[in-house]
Amino acid sequence: MKRALSLAAATLMVTCAANAQSYPSESVTLVVPYGPGGASDLAGRALAESARDFLGEPITVVNQAGSGGMTGARDVSRSDPDGYTLLLARVGMALSPAVNANSSVDWDEYTFLSPLEATPMILAVAEDSPYESVEELLESIDSDPGALSYAASGATAIDGFTVQTLLADVDLDPLTAATLVPYRGGGELATALLGGHVDFLAIAAGSLMPHIESGDMRPLMVYSPERMDALPDVPTAEELEYELAGQVIGWSALYGPPDLPDEVVDTWNQVMEQVAEDDGWLSRADDRGSISTIGTLDMATYAEEQYAFYRGLAEEFGYLD
Amino acid sequence: MLNDLLIAFQAVATLENFLIMAAGIWGGVIIGAIPGMTGTMAVTLALPFTFYMQPIPSILLLVALYKGSTYGGSVSAILIKTPGTASAACTTLDGYPLARQGKAGKALNMALYSSCTGDFISNISLIFIAAPLALLALRIGPPEYFMLMVFALTTVAGVSGRSLLLGLVSACMGLLLATVGEDMYGSFRFDLTVDMQSGLAVAPVLIGLFAIPELLKIVVFRNTESHKPMQLGDNKVTRAELRRSLKSMLKGSMIGVVMGAIPGIGPSAAAFSSYGEAQRSSRNRDNFGKGEVEGIAASESANNGCCGSTMIPLLALGVPGDVITGVMLGAFMIHGMTPGPMLFENNLNEVYMLFIGMLFSSVLLFGAGKATMRFFSHIARIPPGLMAPIVLILCLFGIFSISNSMYDVIVLLAMGVFGFFMFLFAIPAAPFLIAFILGPMLEENLRRALAISRGDPSILVSSPITWLFASLAVFVVVITIRQQLKKAKA
Repeated sequence: MKRALSLAAATLMVTCAANAQSYPSESVTLVVPYGPGGASDLAGRALAESARDFLGEPITVVNQAGSGGMTGARDVSRSDPDGYTLLLARVGMALSPAVNANSSVDWDEYTFLSPLEATPMILAVAEDSPYESVEELLESIDSDPGALSYAASGATAIDGFTVQTLLADVDLDPLTAATLVPYRGGGELATALLGGHVDFLAIAAGSLMPHIESGDMRPLMVYSPERMDALPDVPTAEELEYELAGQVIGWSALYGPPDLPDEVVDTWNQVMEQVAEDDGWLSRADDRGSISTIGTLDMATYAEEQYAFYRGLAEEFGYLD
Repeated sequence: MLNDLLIAFQAVATLENFLIMAAGIWGGVIIGAIPGMTGTMAVTLALPFTFYMQPIPSILLLVALYKGSTYGGSVSAILIKTPGTASAACTTLDGYPLARQGKAGKALNMALYSSCTGDFISNISLIFIAAPLALLALRIGPPEYFMLMVFALTTVAGVSGRSLLLGLVSACMGLLLATVGEDMYGSFRFDLTVDMQSGLAVAPVLIGLFAIPELLKIVVFRNTESHKPMQLGDNKVTRAELRRSLKSMLKGSMIGVVMGAIPGIGPSAAAFSSYGEAQRSSRNRDNFGKGEVEGIAASESANNGCCGSTMIPLLALGVPGDVITGVMLGAFMIHGMTPGPMLFENNLNEVYMLFIGMLFSSVLLFGAGKATMRFFSHIARIPPGLMAPIVLILCLFGIFSISNSMYDVIVLLAMGVFGFFMFLFAIPAAPFLIAFILGPMLEENLRRALAISRGDPSILVSSPITWLFASLAVFVVVITIRQQLKKAKA
């Protein structure tokens, strides 16, 4: 009996080892923790399309929305670290645990596989707005605190921090100087500005570019390390010397559950090297208005910096009290 | 414009495009008919395939799936008292009684005629009055949304059945449950478990409330009646029935067109409002809820009436009004087209091709509906005692597949038990559902409006549109009270 057991155990170990060597031997599930059709969903699907040829197995995209992306993130973080369940991570995966003391997953409960893209944000007003520059907008806010309103997904969402950091940079109260009007999703946010229901907003470029191109919105500033190709005349927050606002940007990355085997990590390193050069991936990133960042930074370090940045802001703005 | 349309017609009218749309409609009807599987899911599943297709066929496939599933929701609403999609909830109220009377075929036919009518009118509106409707949609800000939701909620009076009081109790419970989860400012309400932070999804609540109590009734009451198969017998919609439903059908289509064009409202609210309106103005008022074809006409014309016009904010403004148009936005972008005002300048030809394709799809919907009906109506002959466990399994799988989570399945079962107790106390389920679906929109827009006005409630009646909806709501409430008083006297 004992011998049979040890034999079985040995066989099991051998099969496990054999399986591990042949990663991937079946399709990989990529969890997108937001609803279909949004920027993160498109990024996930574009990655799945480009990576599958290099991976040799199909990648299935599954949308698992809820709690600002944390439901899907939690499920991936708690799943088996076998490399068959991965996460399309967004800035929210570093931001949520930084601003929410009861966050269900911490910023580092993952294996950081690769950065994917940076998605610039744009500060914009409606075409008939009296404000021609960021300074004019801020002056008006200063003259009657609380009178101007802005649309965002939430106070502690990335598109709320775009405005709050800007207010903090000019020593206005980040929470009350402008009135937050929460909406759900990029489409609703853009509509609120188009319809004149709010005075300004600063959200992902992808949701605003069509309206800027058609002349219905006026961009005042971009949150991006460099000026956007499509908007060569619009200054970045960094150029205008807004210290905190200059550090806010949206991004996507590829995460897995903690303690992924080295083999899986190595495989994905190779795959991502090839995706970084893939024409399909690069042109789809262009279409979405984002910049591919694969291979340009160390994801673990970057995630930690992002967490520390938003943690600092959350303490300063009083979200953790 | 007509010349451009003709050129587009030539480009669209290929066998390949027809097959794609027919497959989309057919697949949509079947997916929509399965409780728990929704149009959103169909469209999402099809999105990766469209990466490899031409731009216009790929959008047409998504549109076809959407239309098919919106009609398909009525099939299960009528046959097994489980709306396949939330927008078919009002169809259940009259469709299922008709099926029990052996008139399943009649109900299905009426649903199909109304769906196609709503669909066609919606497409025509998309083609000819997209611009003014888009401008109207932009004017609808938080105060206008709020008043519109107040008006839509007055439908509760119509679907309360015998007791208005119990209907209001039901609606209040629906509003309360709608508050579960994270609110718009990021605070958590009733988050007893981590899963509850994301709130209760519509699909499991809807299906739990309608399907599970039916099963429990059979088990608990050992109802022998329910073991008898339904007769198919009366299949055709008579000309007289069609004539008396025509007004509600057209009115429902218009309600669907307008509500569909406003981002974020969607077919459920349109169907509720249309049903409520039909019931108020119909001569057959008292027969509503007992198997009135006019009720089906009102609800189904309104939910399909949204299908075309929901593309208006997407195409004209580049703003997706719901998840489905959100996926379509993604499909446009993947093919290098950006919906919005520029689309009509840069891709006018493609826009016209899309329009023509959508008109075709109304016809295809009719064909697919007729073809599947013969097959579906046999379901009515399965005795409920046998049907119930099948429905339960379908529901469990359908709900689990939406988000791959056991949490939704638990919500489904809990709502089922809750629904059974509501049945025991004779509390109607429809008001609960209407309040549950409209609740978040009501609350969020009230809070948005008050944030913008810095707490001044007068913003809620600050524009002509708010006056319109507010007076409509007051009108309905007054009428309802008068009817109640009359009833009390009699």
